[in-house]
Amino acid sequence: MTPWTLAGTSLASRLLLGTAHYPSPQVLADAVQASGTQVLTVGLRRLQPEHGGGNAFWQRVRALGCHVLPNTAGCHGAQEAITLAQMARELFDTPWIKLEVIGDDYTLQPDPFGTLEAARVLVREGFQVLAYTTDDLVLAQRLHEAGCAAVMPWAAPIGTGRGPQNPSALQTLRSRLPDAVLIVDAGLGRPSHAAQVMEMGFDAVLLNTAVAQAGDPVRMARAFAQAVDAGRLAFEATPMGERQTAQASTPTLGMPFWHQS
Amino acid sequence: MTPPMNEVSMNGRPLQTPAATLAELLQLQGYDAQAAMACAINRQFVPRAQWPLQALQAGDRIDVIAPVTGG
Repeated sequence: MTPWTLAGTSLASRLLLGTAHYPSPQVLADAVQASGTQVLTVGLRRLQPEHGGGNAFWQRVRALGCHVLPNTAGCHGAQEAITLAQMARELFDTPWIKLEVIGDDYTLQPDPFGTLEAARVLVREGFQVLAYTTDDLVLAQRLHEAGCAAVMPWAAPIGTGRGPQNPSALQTLRSRLPDAVLIVDAGLGRPSHAAQVMEMGFDAVLLNTAVAQAGDPVRMARAFAQAVDAGRLAFEATPMGERQTAQASTPTLGMPFWHQS
Repeated sequence: MTPPMNEVSMNGRPLQTPAATLAELLQLQGYDAQAAMACAINRQFVPRAQWPLQALQAGDRIDVIAPVTGG
């Protein structure tokens, strides 16, 4: 598979994986291995002293040997997201941040204004910003122009597994932003969804629930890895153009039983 | 002499504390200073190196966070 570059780092896998909702830490570790992912997302939440710190989880994640992508999930304004990103940078010793600024609690739709405001500040502060966004073209353009390392449109609302709800908008993003790193983040439920967006030329996909909540997360991780690879290969191979009418595959010349009467 | 008590909010819970600095507060509250955690006061990040120097004021809202699973 052709390597790609994310935030200055060359990666072989085009599948980024979340760490939440797995049945157990061991299943998470096995799914990570089966997926071949090199990037894992993590969150940040309040710590009570009686819980002994987040060391146990953090040590398990570190042992998996992947790049860590902390998120600002749950933040509802630019300032909250900026502060959480600064805390994450110190905690994980990485400038990578998955920027999430939520605008609507029911759909978890990102706040375009807060996202762009936070992205501009964080880029100025030296972060490698991977911005979670909708499939809105102009917002994606602004995030790219702001210097985001990746723009990450949703396929569908987080955790729904419904797959691309507006494939045409995703295709437009890819066409209009040929030089941007574009990662489909959120809403994928099945490997075929991943293959679909990879065939469009997206650079990668980011998943969590589709793997973690599958009946067998480890097998599903492998299935997604193969789908992502297949989709990418198909994109690189340039799919045929669609036709409106049928065209026989077998030559008509030499067809038996036909005689000039 | 009894140190003055400040009322602050820590991870959303109000508390009275004699701690003069963030580092003292963390210690008094039972946090392991070596743990994987990061702090903010009044929604502003406080780097770890500043914890011993960061004076507390009455009404400060302190957040202490740690890594968790996430997507």
